[in-house]
Order: sequence, then structure tokens, then C-alpha cells
Amino acid sequence: MNEDAQAMMRREMRVTLGNAPTELDGEVLAPEDLYAITSDSFLLWTYCGLKIFYRKGEGVTLDRSSARTTENERLYLNGTTYAGVASINGLYPIHASAVSIDGRVHAFTGPSGAGKSTLTAGLGMHGLKLFCDDMLVLDLRDDRQIMCLPGHKQLKLLPDAIELAGAAAVGKVAEGMDKYYAEPAGGLETAMLPLAELCFLEVGEPARFEDVAPAERMVLLDDDHYTAVMYRYATGSSHHERFRQLARLANRVKISRFFRSKDAAKFHAETALAAGHVRSFENGGSR
Amino acid sequence: MSGAVLKCDGNFIEQLIDDEIVLLDLDSADFFSLSGTARDVWSLVDGARDRDAIIAALAEEYDCSADQIDGDVEQFLEQMVAGGFLQYG
Repeated sequence: MNEDAQAMMRREMRVTLGNAPTELDGEVLAPEDLYAITSDSFLLWTYCGLKIFYRKGEGVTLDRSSARTTENERLYLNGTTYAGVASINGLYPIHASAVSIDGRVHAFTGPSGAGKSTLTAGLGMHGLKLFCDDMLVLDLRDDRQIMCLPGHKQLKLLPDAIELAGAAAVGKVAEGMDKYYAEPAGGLETAMLPLAELCFLEVGEPARFEDVAPAERMVLLDDDHYTAVMYRYATGSSHHERFRQLARLANRVKISRFFRSKDAAKFHAETALAAGHVRSFENGGSR
Repeated sequence: MSGAVLKCDGNFIEQLIDDEIVLLDLDSADFFSLSGTARDVWSLVDGARDRDAIIAALAEEYDCSADQIDGDVEQFLEQMVAGGFLQYG
């Protein structure tokens, strides 16, 4: 089943050029980065006029007919569209960047600007492989473990973060956005792997990792990021189902907090602390 | 209060996470955590035991007298009834 999830996403994410509708299930969209999602279809109409339509089993249709630019296509396909396609197919996308070591995944989550990508890039300098940037897709269907699908193979970093993390910039992410795609220093992971730890990034000193108590894990996991909302709409999951799903995550995976200053002068020391934490976790056992 | 202590099943969802029982209040969407003695009392609520039977079972489990724990258990049950998680049959 695990290999199937990765193969299924590759199949469902195949892109063809064509015409996309402007409404989905009666909901009419406008070109304002709005999306609509149902149990089998997804439609996004971006502010630059690009339309992206997906129907289960038919793949993704890219409609450039009213697009002012095609520069941002990759961003929309790898972000919102990928999350929509995953959700419709029963996979659970979360807002996280992740690295892998010894066949397991350590993910870092937090709101936009929390430093997920920068930390993940910095961990590459400590030999940890990039697993995904900004979105981690989980397969929750295996009762024994939470499996992760590897993400897209480049980081999105601000110029100062590229320098801090020793990454190599390879091109701008999108027009009007001061972020650049960057190659990770630690290499890439391409296989599906189990999730070992999900760590919430916080600002605070001294830099440290803290375990999260069970009820608080549920509070932290029950976020309202657009990926979670998308999943709820696509799957029509009830309160009961969502609670049980989050509880499975909270039971199967170590949930922690990483407090650090976010001061650039302390970046290398704090990243080294995180690398040491991940390595000692893998050497010391697992949940 | 007399009668069996009953869980108000339609009002919440419960899940064991590690050694805590986490309740989701379906009305408020708030989470509640039961650990230690609270978890043990909650685990004794089986729809058949009344207040006294719960206290007796807990006293046996903790190897103490019913009088020693009576007040604390009563207070906990009252809180859970007020919160809409338990009721008396």
C-alpha cells in the first residue's frame, strides 16, 4: 500500500494543458487565488489568471488561456494543487518541512515565517537529507506506522537563509516573491518513510527541545492551516474521524517543541542542537 | 446522588493517548485531559457502577479506605457532570 500511495500521487499529478472550468459543484471562482474542492475534484484560479483543475482519475489540467504569466505554475502545482490532490485521494497534507535519517522522517512545523525551511536547509549541513519542504503528505492508513511521501526536491528560501544554510540558489520561486529555490546541502530522500517525530517550532531561549503532553499534542495538531481545511472538505470527515486521526498521530509519533532564538548569529549553534537531537533520538529508541 | 454513573456519549469523544485520556467536547471543541486518579475514576465509569461502587473499586485499587477518597471522587464526578461528560441514571 505504501508504494502505491507514492505511485498513485505520481499518476494523479500528471499535468496536461487544456481548458479548466470556472466553477466546481456550483461554486463559481474568481481569479483571486481561490480554490474549491469536492470529494473528487479540485479547482484553483490564481490571481495571475492561471487555472488548475483536477479530477480524480483524470489528472491535472493546466489552463494558461487567461494567465498573465506562467512563472508561478510550479509553485501552485507543488503547493496548493498537490495538497488538494493528496486530500482527495485520502492522504493527509500538513504544513511542515522535513529531513530524514536512518530511514525515518523528522518533520518541523509552524506558521509561515517560523523558519521551517531555513532549519531544514541548515540540517542539510549536518548530513541530514531533505525529505520535503513546506508540505509533508502523510499516509495514515497503515495501522502500524505513519508513512510519509517524499516531497518536491528543492527548498524555498529567502536570500539570507540561503547564505545561512549553505544552500545553492537555483532560481526565483515566483514573481513578486523574494524567495529562491535552493539545492539542499545534505542531498535528497526519495523513498516513502515512516514519520518518527513532528516538532513544533517556537521562539524562546535557551534553545531546547521539550516533549508535549498528550492533550496539548491534540491542540497543536488541530490546526486550521489551509491543508487541514482542504482535507476536511475533500474527505467530509466528521469531528469523530478527525479526532481519531489526530489521536493516532499523537500516539504513533513523538510530538515535541523546539525553542530557539531565530537570531541569525545563533543559527549554526541552534541548528547543531537540532541535528544532535535528531541523531540522539534515532540512536536512543523510538515511540 | 444515586443511580449508575453514565457517560454522556453524544457530547464528547474520548481517546487514550499514552497514559492520558483526552476528551474532545463536541460542543465547545475544547480538549480535556484526564491523568492519574482522574483517569482511574473515569475508567471505572462503566454504566453499571454507581458513585459508591466507583469509590469502593478505587479504594481497593489504591489500597485505602473509602472515606479517604470519598470527597475527591465526589468532587471529580460533580465536575464531570457539570461539564456534560457524565450523568446519573
